Amino acid sequence: MKTVLYWLSGIIVFVFLWQLLALLFGWNIILPPPLEVFQTMGNLCLNPDTGIAALQTAWKVLLSLALVLIIGIALGLLLGMFKALYEMMRPIIMVIQAVPVISWLTLVIFAWGIGWRGPVFITFLALLPMALLTTVSGVRNLDHKLLEMARVYRVPTSRVFRDIYIGSLLPFVAAIIDVSIGQAWKVILVTEYLCGNSGLGVKILSARYAVDSTGVYAYTLLAVILGIVTERLVKLAMGRVSAKWQSV
Amino acid sequence: MAVRVNINKLCKSFGSLNVLDNWDLNISAGERLVLLGPSGSGKTTFLRLIAGLESPDSGQISLNTDKIAFVFQEPRLIPWRNVSDNLLFVRPDADIEGILAQLRLSGFEDYFPGQLSGGMQQRVNLARALVTEPDLLILDEAFSSLDLPVKLEIMQDLLEHWQDKHFTMVSVTHDLKEALCLADRILILSPRPAHIAYDFGVTLGEQRHFSDPELLRLESQLLGLLLQK
Repeated sequence: MKTVLYWLSGIIVFVFLWQLLALLFGWNIILPPPLEVFQTMGNLCLNPDTGIAALQTAWKVLLSLALVLIIGIALGLLLGMFKALYEMMRPIIMVIQAVPVISWLTLVIFAWGIGWRGPVFITFLALLPMALLTTVSGVRNLDHKLLEMARVYRVPTSRVFRDIYIGSLLPFVAAIIDVSIGQAWKVILVTEYLCGNSGLGVKILSARYAVDSTGVYAYTLLAVILGIVTERLVKLAMGRVSAKWQSV
Repeated sequence: MAVRVNINKLCKSFGSLNVLDNWDLNISAGERLVLLGPSGSGKTTFLRLIAGLESPDSGQISLNTDKIAFVFQEPRLIPWRNVSDNLLFVRPDADIEGILAQLRLSGFEDYFPGQLSGGMQQRVNLARALVTEPDLLILDEAFSSLDLPVKLEIMQDLLEHWQDKHFTMVSVTHDLKEALCLADRILILSPRPAHIAYDFGVTLGEQRHFSDPELLRLESQLLGLLLQK
């Protein structure tokens, strides 16, 4: 209850400062007053188009996240277990990390044109190295004494994987999700803006063309709220899964 | 079924560190062998070799079983699995109730390792070993971190179990009384590279106690041998 009060007071202070700055400077185009933004957001929420755009962005976020988790963790496990493979793949990971998003963007526009695949692919590439390297650290931090114990008792690999690997890697997977989900929303919005044909990023682009800064703020606020809600929901689901591996 | 262990010209070194030098040893089926010796003399390496956790540089270890259980010095329990699941991890089809009762762990089935004291964790470590019904039980300073009453209780539980099953037992300890309570044969090792300096038969009856005068006499005899070598 106390935390909720702190949260609410933080939000009130933020909105108050926003209103104050808007009044002081009167730059409606750069900083429209909060009430106007909230009103526009309310109107947008009543428009089914906005809901569809939000869902289009949300599924791209979830698809990118799922791809990052499945491919990043599976590949991270392999790279963590086989050092030679890790050394072999390291230059490729470094290249993926270093290539500017704008280059990927150009390539995906050449390959697929404007559409949903570009944003998903670029978000996947942006988050993959982090997921991969975090999983590799997880594998390297495995308690080798537990693995040795399993070896003495000749426990089958499948059980070792289920009972030791998954339990040990869970905090690392939670960290990947924690970092990825916020990042995924941001990258998807940027790439929708630059090479997408649907979603909140495209809506922000349309508002920009109409020089509707209140609209830009309203869509941004909506994206922030949706980002937080998705993050909470994914963490809740994650908490239920990890409870099975929870030690006291 | 207890197993006989034959060791023939066993050598092991780590880099330039010669740890075991040409060991010949026969351990009879059902024997309770304890190794005593200075730190770093290769006792744990020997245990790891017979458990298959290390490979010898040369020589052979022959034992006709893969039912080996190892009670490590530290419990090595899976922290996110409760007591029952830690036991079922090594033997999923085991009926764990009996062994839990025998090791005074009944009622703790759902506890996680972090909720247990060091002594209880070590009981679970031993229960996990015994639930596999081993032919060869290896103990590496398994009771060294326990206080005396807990140590005596666990040792008594172990010996009761041994009397039922008569598996072969090889253990390492620094505690002479513990060695005399557990063993019917004690090997005293030389400093590294280790060889067997004394082979000491324990002539005590099955009911042993730390304050038994005969045990105390043998303890001072053992101490003399340890200081001599």
